[in-house]
Amino acid sequence: MSEKTEKAKKPKRAFLSYERRKGLYGYGFIGLWMIGTLIFFLIPLIKSLIWSFNDVSIDTGITHLEWAGLKKYSYALTVDENYMDYLSKTLMETLWKTPLILIFSLFIAVILNQKFRGRVLSRAIFFLPVIIATGPVFKIINGDMGSTGNTGAAQFSTMFSTDLVGELLQFLGIYGLSENMNTLITTVADNVFGIVWSSGIQILLFLAALQNIPPSAKEAAQMEGATAWEYFWKITFPYVSPFILANLIFTVIDSFTSPTNEVMKRILAMRDDWKFGEYSAMAWIYFGIVLVAIGIITAIVNKFIYYEVD
Amino acid sequence: MTDTMNAEVKSEHEIGNGMSKKEAKRIRMQNMSREERGYVRRKAVMEKVWPFFRFVILFGLGFVIMYPLIYMISCAFRERSDMTDPTVMWIPRHLTLDVLKETLDAMDFWNTLKTTLFLNIGCSLVQVLSCAVTGYGFARFKFKGKSLLFLVVIMMILVPPQIIALPLYSQFRHFGIGDLAVNLIDNSLTMYLPALTGNGIRSGLMILIFRQFFKGLPKELEDAAYIDGCGPFRTFVQVMIPNAASSFLTVFLFSVVWYWNDYYVSSTFFTNTKTVALMLQNLDTELKLRLFDSATVELSPREQIVWKEAGCLLSITPLLVMYVCLQKYFTEGIERSGLVG
Repeated sequence: MSEKTEKAKKPKRAFLSYERRKGLYGYGFIGLWMIGTLIFFLIPLIKSLIWSFNDVSIDTGITHLEWAGLKKYSYALTVDENYMDYLSKTLMETLWKTPLILIFSLFIAVILNQKFRGRVLSRAIFFLPVIIATGPVFKIINGDMGSTGNTGAAQFSTMFSTDLVGELLQFLGIYGLSENMNTLITTVADNVFGIVWSSGIQILLFLAALQNIPPSAKEAAQMEGATAWEYFWKITFPYVSPFILANLIFTVIDSFTSPTNEVMKRILAMRDDWKFGEYSAMAWIYFGIVLVAIGIITAIVNKFIYYEVD
Repeated sequence: MTDTMNAEVKSEHEIGNGMSKKEAKRIRMQNMSREERGYVRRKAVMEKVWPFFRFVILFGLGFVIMYPLIYMISCAFRERSDMTDPTVMWIPRHLTLDVLKETLDAMDFWNTLKTTLFLNIGCSLVQVLSCAVTGYGFARFKFKGKSLLFLVVIMMILVPPQIIALPLYSQFRHFGIGDLAVNLIDNSLTMYLPALTGNGIRSGLMILIFRQFFKGLPKELEDAAYIDGCGPFRTFVQVMIPNAASSFLTVFLFSVVWYWNDYYVSSTFFTNTKTVALMLQNLDTELKLRLFDSATVELSPREQIVWKEAGCLLSITPLLVMYVCLQKYFTEGIERSGLVG
């Protein structure tokens, strides 16, 4: 492909300015990708959008479409008894889990960036989810742990045969905690497993950001007598802030393909029932909401991010 | 603050080098103000206490990560009666390799592994190349509609694969125009073609990584090549690629991992082609057919776990081996690979 464009351009060379010619080379570089994207991304994307407004039936290669307007969407939102339920649950989960994953991975990255013995080993362990957590193995790990009653905090409570969180709170003398607060703490503890396992790549990114902090900044802070706390907020945080957005997006798109994602399971069930219109509508509702949320967050976060170069 | 610091430097200078370290430190402490002394003391205490806390945190969380792996190993080597034995927690009572052998057999592991490796490595190779070329195009050239096209890259990252999977299926089912259409389902071309054109699994992300990486390389490299009469394509092959070698390796490794772990895409397009991830999904039925000659036999879910965990262990072992051998490139290489900045 690229060679072809080069040949075709040669006679014209005399008429084109250097800038224009370089631009054409640019097309040469991305040409293959443009063709692929058109066939394997844009057309299917538009097709699925069209399907979501139609009654779809497929026989022997010919797709029959019958305009159905917003019927599929109203079906997903009002008729299907599971979809709305799963959707709100999954969105809520993403909403509270994402900040937790971000905070947790930043915390771990800061620790793993310090110098201590066994650092290589601990890094190796904490990045392990990167290679496992995207696959079906993780699904089975999750499922099995569930069926033997060994998941999340339950996993620890069976091991120590007590309700660990409750015990700890009592030990600390915290009794009069409000019901909401209590459930919040318990859910967080319950989900330690999920959070730790889904922050592999986030830790990796934050760590890379931390290693980009110039030593001079650290020296200056030490000279001025900054405490670890001040150092974190005045040096570390501004430097890693551009990565918060990247990690946020990572976390969200990872949740799309996460094996615990109920909405996606429901959508795939639609596919198996050959209800392609409903399938597309459901997928688009979910994706649309997440896209809008990401857009809003990006707009807000971008105002507070500190970019060193620009 | 600056005053005291000057004083400190001066006094040390006056003392000269003839003093013991301890003495020098004592004198330095005397010259400090009260706040400074407090700071130094707090820091000393923190440095003593923090390693202990750090160890506890890392050990605890490391355990959470290692737990499934330890559990996998523990389960894979026990007989299934051990699963229902309440006295067995971690160490199996009856050590056996039978379960592992049965699972190897049911997954048709060696053949599956071969197919998967060929498919994964082949796809990853072409994908890394195509994404690198595209990323370079975005990083170094100005052309019309570039920002719009880059928006498409961002969209590729954001759109969940499930949305386009189904239309893509119908497209592959009749790939081509009119009478020339061919059925590509169950053909490994369904993986190779998108990979070749920079549209494979998570390729949006890879294009972005390469774009960032090439942007970070000094422009002088190419300018020198241009002046020496090198065309852009030759410059890319001869000047840029050698500079990007370690970045290529990192991206390649991640790509292999993503292809290895993929089951959404491959379960859509493959009906008979066996990849490790797909075999693991179907392990249940396959095992029942092989071991008990019927797909409907009732096994208690607890007892099934031994085979499932053995299957898990088998399917992550190649990845683990790769990870252990090439760990450096996963963890250190990423800083240089352009994911940064």
